[in-house]
Amino acid sequence: MTQESTIVIDPVTRIEGHSKITLHLNDDGRVEEARFHVTQFRGFEKLCEGRPFYEMPSLMARICGICPVSHLIASAKACDSLLAVRIPPTADKLRRIFGLAQVTQSHALSLFHLSSPDLLMGMDADPAKSNIFGVAEKNPELAMDGIKLRQFGQKIIERLGGKRIHPAWIVPGGVSEPLTEANRDAILATIPEALAIAERTLEWFKGTMERFREEISTFGNFPTMFMGIVKKDNGLTFYDGKLRIVDASGHVVADDLDPTQYYDYIGEKVEPWSYLKSSYYKPKGFPDGVYRVGPLARLNVADRCGTPRADQELAEFHELQRTAVLSSFHYHHARLVEILYCIERLEQLLNDPEILSKHVRALARPNAREGVGAAEAPRGTLFHHYKIDDQGLIRWVNLIIATGQNNLAMNRSVLQVAKHYVHGKKLTPGMLNRVEAVIRCYDPCLSCSTHAMGQMALQVELISPEGKVLDTIARH
Amino acid sequence: MPRVLILAYGNPLRSDDGVACRAVDQLRQSLPDSEFQCFHQLGPELAEVITHFERVIFLDAAFPTEGMKPGDIRIQPLLANTNATDQSRFSHVVTPQTVVTLASSLYHVDVKADLITVTGQTFDHGDRLSDAVAAALPNLVAKVEQLARTPITNS
Repeated sequence: MTQESTIVIDPVTRIEGHSKITLHLNDDGRVEEARFHVTQFRGFEKLCEGRPFYEMPSLMARICGICPVSHLIASAKACDSLLAVRIPPTADKLRRIFGLAQVTQSHALSLFHLSSPDLLMGMDADPAKSNIFGVAEKNPELAMDGIKLRQFGQKIIERLGGKRIHPAWIVPGGVSEPLTEANRDAILATIPEALAIAERTLEWFKGTMERFREEISTFGNFPTMFMGIVKKDNGLTFYDGKLRIVDASGHVVADDLDPTQYYDYIGEKVEPWSYLKSSYYKPKGFPDGVYRVGPLARLNVADRCGTPRADQELAEFHELQRTAVLSSFHYHHARLVEILYCIERLEQLLNDPEILSKHVRALARPNAREGVGAAEAPRGTLFHHYKIDDQGLIRWVNLIIATGQNNLAMNRSVLQVAKHYVHGKKLTPGMLNRVEAVIRCYDPCLSCSTHAMGQMALQVELISPEGKVLDTIARH
Repeated sequence: MPRVLILAYGNPLRSDDGVACRAVDQLRQSLPDSEFQCFHQLGPELAEVITHFERVIFLDAAFPTEGMKPGDIRIQPLLANTNATDQSRFSHVVTPQTVVTLASSLYHVDVKADLITVTGQTFDHGDRLSDAVAAALPNLVAKVEQLARTPITNS
């Protein structure tokens, strides 16, 4: 198949950027290949060179306005390695609280704001109505629940960190301030309502799944490996543990991997048609080493959650398939189970007798020239890797972001949807909705993974075997 | 003076995109009775937040467009518009229009809202403003002060 069309990725669009999908037809007029192009430019690794290492958490938090806490945590852990310290137990728990609050609010945004229009109104709904305004009209309680859950998470972040976005509270060696009793009690008082919202949203979601049988079977429903950080007992965690990889059958491929040695088993490949690199599991090579991260992966690699209601829901989740749960549609379900876990776990940590301790930071100078921090961000495993010189200045940075690790799977998902829903040479709004929807299952953070920001439009091109653009449909 | 919330947003590590939060640093002195929030980006939960105020002023940088050159300041009233389409289906983008419309449709509160933007020159990585935007900052601050002090009429 020859292709004459040229995909121009202009750095000027990195702010007011856009994504593009190209669908390539074969000689029989069927979709043969699909590509999800990310056209923003990645730049934070270069921006940080020459900065003092202790600035890194604050700098890295500015990669993203939705999940800055994940970057704060991974960055601080990398800095902890540079200091060669073990942070105080209370600081460990406080960082976990911070991370759990962030996962809650991030997952809430993804589900209630971005995906609920599809789930509530269907994939073929009028695009003019299939948005948060349509949700507000059709199910205002659902919309308000989403806002309350976002506020729940953000208020915890604000109480601990001083502000909702880019709080500078997580620092190398621990956290900068202990938790006050007043703040602890104020947060605990909000737990019951948050739990109630999580429970009723889960029930609502499970009630909708029957309507989406076709989407469940075609939305990224293919075998891949799954990777995530788990505790020593293979329990769900977002903060710290070992890396575990399972295959599509649910069998363990690799276990007890040290996340700080990620480079031994995670490779990255650059594609000429996207600024988003693709990660793969090195022992299996590219592209056979495709794996997924994030909520679906975490629930596939974990044996338990460790909190009562979430454990019940996890058991039910594992019943969806006898193998690993494969369909990316189930990312939504996994996100809701994780919200439930986060709230339950928050309550446990806040009731820990040591949570109000004043000893929250270990102080030291750099004792190592290289440090790696890994954590589970809402979208998946996140790695921050730094090298410093003898002045403590950053000389090299590598970031592996969750969305990049899902890049291969996202592209395959788009191809699967396109093959199932695109017929002939005409693109339909319903097909476009489903292409968007399958990517939305992954809740990609293209700002994180390419270190740019901007409004995302979507353009889908249908390309003939000769490289001629047959049809284009776009949202601006 | 009405109860005023000033919502500044933008990325301070993207040069001119950080102008709104810089303006807030000065406005805290001149508008001590107003409340201020600085964000990297807006979120839908702000719909509930703004219902507690009589006036909301959104502050942001804007890209150069036809007729607007770097340093130019624009004030746009915002009205709830349930016919508006929300384009934030992919990324983490919520517009001031979305926030105002959600406040109206979900909480039945119509807040007096305006968006003030200053056209930027550069949005590259960096923590400094361009000369054009730095020169416009005092004027931006003055316009926000004037709007914040303007009585709200029921017209």
